[in-house]
Amino acid sequence: MAGLELLSDQGYRVDGRRAGELRKIQARMGVFTQADGSAYIEQGNTKALAVVYGPHEIRGSRARALPDRALVNCQYSSATFSTGERKKRPHGDRKSCEMGLQLRQTFDAAILTQLHPRSQIDIYVQVLQADGGTYAACVNAATLAVMDAGIPMRDFVCACSAGFVDGTALADLSHVEEAAGGPQLALALLPASGQIALLEMDARLHEDHLEQVLETAAQAARDVHTLLDRVVRQHVHEASILLGD
Amino acid sequence: MLKSKTFLKKTRAGGVMKIVREHYLRDDIGCGAAGCAECCGAHDGPALEPQPQDRASSLCPRPHYLLPDTNVLLHQIDVLEDPAIRNVIVLQTVLQEVRNRSAPVYKRIRDVTNNHEKHFYTFTNEHHRETYIEQEQGENANDRNDRAIRVAVKWYNEHLKKMSAENQLQVIFITNDRKNKEKAVEEGIPAFTCEEYIKSLTANPELIDRLACLSEEGNEIENRKIIFSEHLPLSKLQQGIKSGTYLQGTFRASRENYLEATVWVHGDDEENKEIILQGLKNLNRAIHEDIVAVELFPKSLWVAPSSVVLHDEGQNEDDVEKEEEKESILKTAVNEKMLKPTGRVVGIIKRNWRPYCGMLSKSDIKESRRHLFTPADRRIPRIRIETRQASTLEGRRIIVAIDGWPRNSRYPNGHFVKNLGDAGDKETETEVLLLEHDVPHQPFSQAVLSFLPKMPWSITENDMKNREDLRHLCICSVDPPGCTDIDDALHCRELENGNLEVGVHIADVSHFIRPGNALDQESARRGTTVYLCEKRIDMVPELLSSNLCSLRCNVDRLAFSCIWEMNHNAEILKTRFTKSAINSKASLTYAEAQMRIDSATMNDDITTSLRGLNKLAKILKKQRIEKGALTLSSPEVRFHMDSETHDPIDLQTKELRETNSMVEEFMLLANISVAKKIHEEFSEHALLRKHPAPPPSNYEILVKAAKSKNLEIRTDTAKSLADSLDQAESPTFLYLNTLLRILATRCMMQAVYFCSGMDNDFHHYGLASPIYTHFTSPIRRYADVIVHRLLAVAIGADSTYPELTDKHKLADLCKNLNFRHKMAQYAQRASVAFHTQLFFKSKGIVSEEAYILFVRKNAIVVLIPKYGLEGTVFFEEKDKPDPRLIYDDEIPSLKIEDTVFHIFDKVKVKIMLDSSNLQHQKIRMSLVEPQIPGVSTDVSNINEPQRKKKKLEK
Amino acid sequence: MASVALSEAEKVYIVHGVQEDLRVDGRGCEDYRSVEVETDVVSNTSGSARVKLGHTDILVGVKAEMGTPKLEKPNEGYLEFFVDCSANATPEFEGRGGDDLGTEIANTLYRIFNNKSSVDLKSLCISPREHCWILYVDVLLLECGGNLFDAISIAVKAALFNTRIPKVRVLEDEEGSKDIELFDDPYDCIRLSVDNVPCIVTLCKIGYRHVVDATLQEEACSLASLLVSVTSQGVVTCMRKVGKGSLDPESIFEMMETGKRVGKGLHASLQSVLHKEESLGPKRQKVGFLG
Repeated sequence: MAGLELLSDQGYRVDGRRAGELRKIQARMGVFTQADGSAYIEQGNTKALAVVYGPHEIRGSRARALPDRALVNCQYSSATFSTGERKKRPHGDRKSCEMGLQLRQTFDAAILTQLHPRSQIDIYVQVLQADGGTYAACVNAATLAVMDAGIPMRDFVCACSAGFVDGTALADLSHVEEAAGGPQLALALLPASGQIALLEMDARLHEDHLEQVLETAAQAARDVHTLLDRVVRQHVHEASILLGD
Repeated sequence: MLKSKTFLKKTRAGGVMKIVREHYLRDDIGCGAAGCAECCGAHDGPALEPQPQDRASSLCPRPHYLLPDTNVLLHQIDVLEDPAIRNVIVLQTVLQEVRNRSAPVYKRIRDVTNNHEKHFYTFTNEHHRETYIEQEQGENANDRNDRAIRVAVKWYNEHLKKMSAENQLQVIFITNDRKNKEKAVEEGIPAFTCEEYIKSLTANPELIDRLACLSEEGNEIENRKIIFSEHLPLSKLQQGIKSGTYLQGTFRASRENYLEATVWVHGDDEENKEIILQGLKNLNRAIHEDIVAVELFPKSLWVAPSSVVLHDEGQNEDDVEKEEEKESILKTAVNEKMLKPTGRVVGIIKRNWRPYCGMLSKSDIKESRRHLFTPADRRIPRIRIETRQASTLEGRRIIVAIDGWPRNSRYPNGHFVKNLGDAGDKETETEVLLLEHDVPHQPFSQAVLSFLPKMPWSITENDMKNREDLRHLCICSVDPPGCTDIDDALHCRELENGNLEVGVHIADVSHFIRPGNALDQESARRGTTVYLCEKRIDMVPELLSSNLCSLRCNVDRLAFSCIWEMNHNAEILKTRFTKSAINSKASLTYAEAQMRIDSATMNDDITTSLRGLNKLAKILKKQRIEKGALTLSSPEVRFHMDSETHDPIDLQTKELRETNSMVEEFMLLANISVAKKIHEEFSEHALLRKHPAPPPSNYEILVKAAKSKNLEIRTDTAKSLADSLDQAESPTFLYLNTLLRILATRCMMQAVYFCSGMDNDFHHYGLASPIYTHFTSPIRRYADVIVHRLLAVAIGADSTYPELTDKHKLADLCKNLNFRHKMAQYAQRASVAFHTQLFFKSKGIVSEEAYILFVRKNAIVVLIPKYGLEGTVFFEEKDKPDPRLIYDDEIPSLKIEDTVFHIFDKVKVKIMLDSSNLQHQKIRMSLVEPQIPGVSTDVSNINEPQRKKKKLEK
Repeated sequence: MASVALSEAEKVYIVHGVQEDLRVDGRGCEDYRSVEVETDVVSNTSGSARVKLGHTDILVGVKAEMGTPKLEKPNEGYLEFFVDCSANATPEFEGRGGDDLGTEIANTLYRIFNNKSSVDLKSLCISPREHCWILYVDVLLLECGGNLFDAISIAVKAALFNTRIPKVRVLEDEEGSKDIELFDDPYDCIRLSVDNVPCIVTLCKIGYRHVVDATLQEEACSLASLLVSVTSQGVVTCMRKVGKGSLDPESIFEMMETGKRVGKGLHASLQSVLHKEESLGPKRQKVGFLG
């Protein structure tokens, strides 16, 4: 049996998308009441929850407090049933720790941390179902959750992945496309300024193609931004109706 | 954008894992008909014609498109490829199924689809909102796909109605599945079988011949008795292989004996590596190169490989009893040691059929449409085809494809594909031998040519980046006469410190062929330039091979240089590599170069340089031989061609001069230096060449042969083999040494390319070098291009790319290169053989001295030094009583009546061209001396037919 | 355990309310909060369910994997439980913070399912001693608003109800080596019977009375509670006292009776919700976390 054809001659991907198209994105803010902020996002079959606690006093050792800004604390965890093959542990493995660190870097760059010195902001993301692009989904969910918590940010952080197959850059890789083993790039973008909050690429890719892949990922991130912006406006609109304005 | 998509899910339980994949449905997929208002511009590339009117079908007079199902595509691709068939819709469902089932057919379909003339359109029905269907309860995957196809046909017909009511476009469903067709008709879809439709094309009756004949309609044969046992289903075979009841291997038919084959068992198991199959029933319809499962017989039924030569010559029909008689000939009493594992084919794991070249053996029955086709390759059985144009095809070389082999048929069934031309015609024969050896020889496509540099070309400043200017050096090239693809040039000069600087400059092909583009892919596919007697099949387009890359004299060329500093004892003090620009001062032939070296009066720069090189080369050669490098011999011949007719007029064995070995010595040195460098830099992904030491058993024949002449050949190491070959001389028999070397060559293994990360034995046995690669001929070998790229990266002169350092990709590439090299060699030999035949055709019958190379059970193989020609002398002839033959394997010797033949015996043979079989014209040899009554040919009657013949020709 | 800090006055208010059969949110002592159940929420599992009980939010995924039967029960499959108290619920659970609670809940689940009648484990056996299905029941605690055990047991039952296990057949050749083959038709699958799967009813002793389905605040007022697992027939399969306080035997019997009564009602309404959802088939609009 031949392997999967990631991009057909007619220009369709395995799931019927064209090269630059995103998967269907649906999101909701304010999923939980107990947390300070929360959000849920679906990017195709990748589903993630994010909750935010804080800013609050430093938990545990005081020594961790930063004199000039808030400490951003992130934990990534992914449900044991989220992947095709069952995972043994939801968090604490190498991959999850790395994801946590990446998220922390991303949000350190986006949250106006200097407004809350000596305090802590917790961002917890939980992947419920993984079908590729978990990092991107987590960042997007966390952005909404941070906004839901009312923590000031420089800008949205919008993330998207991109890959490269047969000379064409593909946006928003699904699990099958990731598993095929080609180069993948994860990008977190601050869309208003066009600044990059995080960039990571694995597998080798020739320099000449980098620009194309990067541009595809950036465009996809901007598309994500449009959608997230709509979600936030909708949420604010609903909230204001509830408040009875 | 996204909003227009409906969202659906497709779940598949594979293994025990539940896999969920998204499946988007779209409403922006076009129907492919040009000018359809409904989905205007939703598709690009080749589209269907709005008014398809080129076919006149008696079944459906209205203009129509065709929509074939998977099996039609798989089995009738030959028909679909015909230029007469156009405007075909290929569904994504169908294409995916084809892709999973047959890679070659898939590739052919893609090629057809890309051909704008054909108007094939791929409709992505699985992602179209109106044609996607879900598998229903109680429906298996196949039924679901059949339904999906019907749904798409229905959609098309309704869609086209909307487009224009008046021109009544129709989509016709082509399927050979009776049930599916019935269902389609029930649903109001116009459906026909492939045969029905093709037969209705009254304007193109020739298409019928190209239809694959599938066993279903072979009612005539049905009542015949079953010859073969059934093939087991794949699942049974796999279980059997897992449990060890059956063995899996590649089926290799014997060239010499159609009733015998060997199966090379896959895997590393040393035991039962090679299994012998004897007799039609045990071969059980396996065809050369198939992957089969075999069952091993108990030891009591094991046989020895027969040394009998047997060809399938019976005319036409299926006389099975006779075959059994023949089979009994194979079984001869032999001692137990000779017995080899024996078995029978129980099932086919994978067929490896390809289209075969050959000729039609017309049926004796005049009106018959069934004929037998005899492939040129003796390992392929004859194929039964149906054609109405037998009389036109007689005497032509044609291509036929196999469709199947029913259990009750002596021969497989097939269908006619293509007519190549008259047999014996030089062009046709060249085409045949290229096809038979799978040598890609089509002209380069536009896509490939588009990557060539624009003319006029000159070296730009940009080109000189990372490049040394060596144009001032006195560089020259030495090649055979008439060589236009000059890959290498040399120089040698004395340095101020008294040492010598020697440079080998190789054409910088990788500068022009950039990784991954169409030009690169095509060159990688071809792998090597193939040299036939009068034709060269280039690996790269001519502009590169004979102009821009060729290091011709007095023009600026780009090169990749390997420069050594050596002392006068040829010890290397320093090695460096650089990309360079050179300007060769002279393109010499070997003879010219030799003449310069030898003539005392010449003292110009070029000549001094050559003398220096020659001196060093001699030292290098001596060192190499001391280390145990082998000097082997094979009789190489060149034809002198008539400049007008291009017919060979004379044969000449290649002459070797000192300068040949001078160039060779420096090329070896450059290759070894480069191999070391790239392996140092890329320990995992260096492309190297190795030559494994042959297993001791390979030498048996050589040792035995030498022993019969009271000589000893030691084969424990390469060094001792080389030394003992040097000492093996006989004052009375000067040619003996050459014969021994020829024989030694036959014992060797094939040298192969490999990726350093996938192997740990790098040794090159023949050259006695611990590491070796190919660097010096990038114009004609793709391996060298890769080596150039690796070296360029190693010295920082060029950038890398992902495939270059992917060892699996590299290993795949090596596999292709090894295959292409082997095939190129075979094609070359076949070309020589064909020209030898042409030569003897014009020369008539001659008798010559010959030496025995091998002794067989019923024949001797002889070598004629004068022509470098090898041939077999048979002692059994059809119309004569068989002589008394006694074969002794130990010596080995063959006793005929009272005369005993040993290896290396000198004999005299008569050579003539046997054209009785047009397909396999061959050089026939018969014994003249020593005379054996009833066996040898009388010399007196040799000249007579020759004279007669000459008269006739006039 | 996730908890809230309450002032003494607040506690007195709650305790007095319970005494009057009137709880802070207006319920009576034997009333559950409204339960939201949705199944098939995670599509790459064999079965899943999300249960919302007040602010308690539970997601359960069941994955069927092939394995070898346990030595002592060669012709049965088995269930494995894992409870992840995620940091989503409270920052206290970050890192390994939720492990203790998770283990405690998982152990309780093992106990109530360690009972022949609860699930037909024999139907999970593919070939004795060699292949069986292992059902990994993974519980994810997303938000914690009291009465975790009850909510989790409801979610587990719903997820098992939703579980579909692919049908396989075992092929055996002469040599005795076995091969597993999947059925071609994806609709062909095994369903588990969950009729006898028990639910947990936790009874919280507050003052002199006990309440079911306590909120976090009520839990903070209670010193001890009784955990009763009850089947739909009203049969008690397991009982456990939790909490730091003590209970007198008399009230234990009383609480058990309440548990049986409330449990039967709970099963009945759960059953009807599940069947109603099932009858909608694939056309049902999935809400998940978006609604």
